[in-house]
Amino acid sequence: MKTTKQNFTVLPKLMRWGSLGVAALCLSSTAHAQVTTYNVAGLADFTGPYANIMKDVTGCRRGVLDWWSEEVGKSLGVALRIKEFDTRYDVAQVASLWPGIKSELNPVVILGVGGADTNALQQRLPNDKVSLILGTAGYGFAWKSDNWAFNGRATYPHEAAAFYTWMQKKSGSSAPLKVGVISSEVSPAYVDIHKGVEKFAKDNPKILEVVETIYTEAQPTDLTQQVNRLVRKGATVLQVYTNTASVVATRRALQSLGKSNIPIVVSAHNGLQSSGKALGDLSQMEGNYEVYGMAMPSEDATPSRTFFDKLRTQYKVQAEYTSNCIMGMSQAIIAARAVEQVVKVKGAGGVTGEAVRAALLSTPMTTERSFGVLPNIKFSNEAPFPTEGLAVNISTIEKGKYKLVEQNVPVPVLNKW
Amino acid sequence: MDPAGVFATSFAKDQALIRTRSQAVALGLFLIALLALPVYSEIRWVAIMTSMLITAVVVMGLQINTGLAGQVNLGQAAFMGVGAYATALLATKANLPFWLALPLGGLCAALFGLVFGMAAMRIKGFYLALTTIAAQILFHFFVLNLPANWLGGSNGITLEAAEFFGFAFNTDTRIYYLCLVVACVMVAGAYGVARSRHGRIFAAVRDDDVASGMMGINVVRTKVLAFLLGAFYAGIGGGLWAFYVRFVAIDQFTLIHSIWFIAMIIVGGMGSVTGALIGVVVIRTVQESITIVGPSLVENFSFLSGDVVFAVMNIFLGGVIAGFLIFEPRGLMHRWNIIKRSYRTWPYPY
Repeated sequence: MKTTKQNFTVLPKLMRWGSLGVAALCLSSTAHAQVTTYNVAGLADFTGPYANIMKDVTGCRRGVLDWWSEEVGKSLGVALRIKEFDTRYDVAQVASLWPGIKSELNPVVILGVGGADTNALQQRLPNDKVSLILGTAGYGFAWKSDNWAFNGRATYPHEAAAFYTWMQKKSGSSAPLKVGVISSEVSPAYVDIHKGVEKFAKDNPKILEVVETIYTEAQPTDLTQQVNRLVRKGATVLQVYTNTASVVATRRALQSLGKSNIPIVVSAHNGLQSSGKALGDLSQMEGNYEVYGMAMPSEDATPSRTFFDKLRTQYKVQAEYTSNCIMGMSQAIIAARAVEQVVKVKGAGGVTGEAVRAALLSTPMTTERSFGVLPNIKFSNEAPFPTEGLAVNISTIEKGKYKLVEQNVPVPVLNKW
Repeated sequence: MDPAGVFATSFAKDQALIRTRSQAVALGLFLIALLALPVYSEIRWVAIMTSMLITAVVVMGLQINTGLAGQVNLGQAAFMGVGAYATALLATKANLPFWLALPLGGLCAALFGLVFGMAAMRIKGFYLALTTIAAQILFHFFVLNLPANWLGGSNGITLEAAEFFGFAFNTDTRIYYLCLVVACVMVAGAYGVARSRHGRIFAAVRDDDVASGMMGINVVRTKVLAFLLGAFYAGIGGGLWAFYVRFVAIDQFTLIHSIWFIAMIIVGGMGSVTGALIGVVVIRTVQESITIVGPSLVENFSFLSGDVVFAVMNIFLGGVIAGFLIFEPRGLMHRWNIIKRSYRTWPYPY
């Protein structure tokens, strides 16, 4: 009887708890249903010239979007989901791939790799009404108004000009810095870079003199003769903005010529770490510089490093903390913050490609909101990259260790070339 | 070989491209399927078909030049680039309508091809292949080093969508139809060349240029004509490409692209216009499949990272071409012809 009575008293309790549980489940499922997921198209190059850096780029941009969806988007009722496509860094592949991506995925923003994506898509993005965001620096050929393709950094020549101005001042001499440029004609983007630097040198003869620009093949193995020619012409610094293979060949050439004291300046996509890795050891890049307008991958507890550690521990990011990872982080942060702004203004259901572009143009992003990955940036209709308050960071290898040399070095004015 | 009971009773019938009623029906159905593609298919397939049609025009030119006339050409992408640049310049600087800029672009490419055709007068084989690589290098050199206001330099050339009396080809579907029409005309032209006196002369020179000369064929003229025609096709393809992407830059026309074009005629079958089309479809389908299947694999199998999946799939793509070279060097058309002949002579072996 007791048991029966107990059963009778337990049953209503069970029912009450059960109904509460069901209600909780319903509420939670309603909350889940309220999360609107938007797609992001991730263009990647897993099998082309930048295959070696792609794991870090894609890993970090995915991590940022996962973080944003979980910690920011969830409370706003929005999640961002990225799907990656291999374009081989080939304009033809991007051109044939993109219409399918657009119709199938209907992305609100595209995260691209570089010039090939810009080339293939820049003319059709205004009609497709989707913005393309790149982690690389900008290009002269894309320096046009009313853009739908955006770079978080100024052009490569802007970044290089900041470095040369800083280095010339640091030299304490009134003579201009003599730079030898190692470039290649395989890509118009490479040519664009040295044309921009040559233009800066022409406009600023007291700061910079380009002794010669040498064209090499895409993946050079030996540049001893070419580098020797630059050295004989008095080059005090060599610029290699093409790829890791060129940095390796240039460094080997300088070593064999006994001129290791002549520094090489590189950018993020062929940075000190990836070049050092290719040379066998980071110390091989001793005394060389890398320069770009993003955070540097130093071991110091910088905000960007802390943010990356969080991505790695909490969001299972497999990538290493390299300049390539920071490129991926930067483009994903720009995209996520723009979506965030749209949601705040138009609500969770109002995110469109057009609205994302409007948010990019109207809302400056402070360095705090990018966890120090980028400086304060503000896009405008005049150029695809920020044109105000530009600054770069410079780092080197000292005693075999990666070391930040200077932060927030201002970018000088550079005229179009 | 014709089916049993089909006889050509006049020269016109002997020359006919469509020889039986069933062939006419099959062709008609195929054309209807192509015309209706944007209606029943996703836009992804329309874009892929557009890219295939443009590539097909270029590869048909290579088939005439290399497959039919036997002139090795590793510079077809450069000829395509010349056509693209010329079309873009004529459309932007001379403000010519697309229907005029496109054939003129093709002619410019043909003239560029003519220069290398002249080289073919004296050399052949590997030496000619090297000369055509020079075309590729010269094209890059000229574009990047001539004043930027001539050919755009590293900035490339941006152009507006093609317009035909106010009708703009500015959507994926519209540009598809434009490419389809042009490709049909060019395919018909290629078949015409292959079955004509010129086609037979090309084949004769390809098989033995010394013997051809002994028989009274003007070998020099034939080789030059092969380059002229091949480059014209590439130029038309380049012009279509320019109007498709609406931005022209040199990295769209590299040696790697030329090598892919060669791979397409190898896979399809050297010397056959249909083979060129089949080669384009097969290679482009495999390429596109990789880009479609790859992301899904990465998404569904998290232990496979993108770099592994895409690298493996590209090895597969290379393996397909290597497989053809080893097991069927005469291409899919040769295999198809064997099957067709077996079917038609069955149950007899020959």
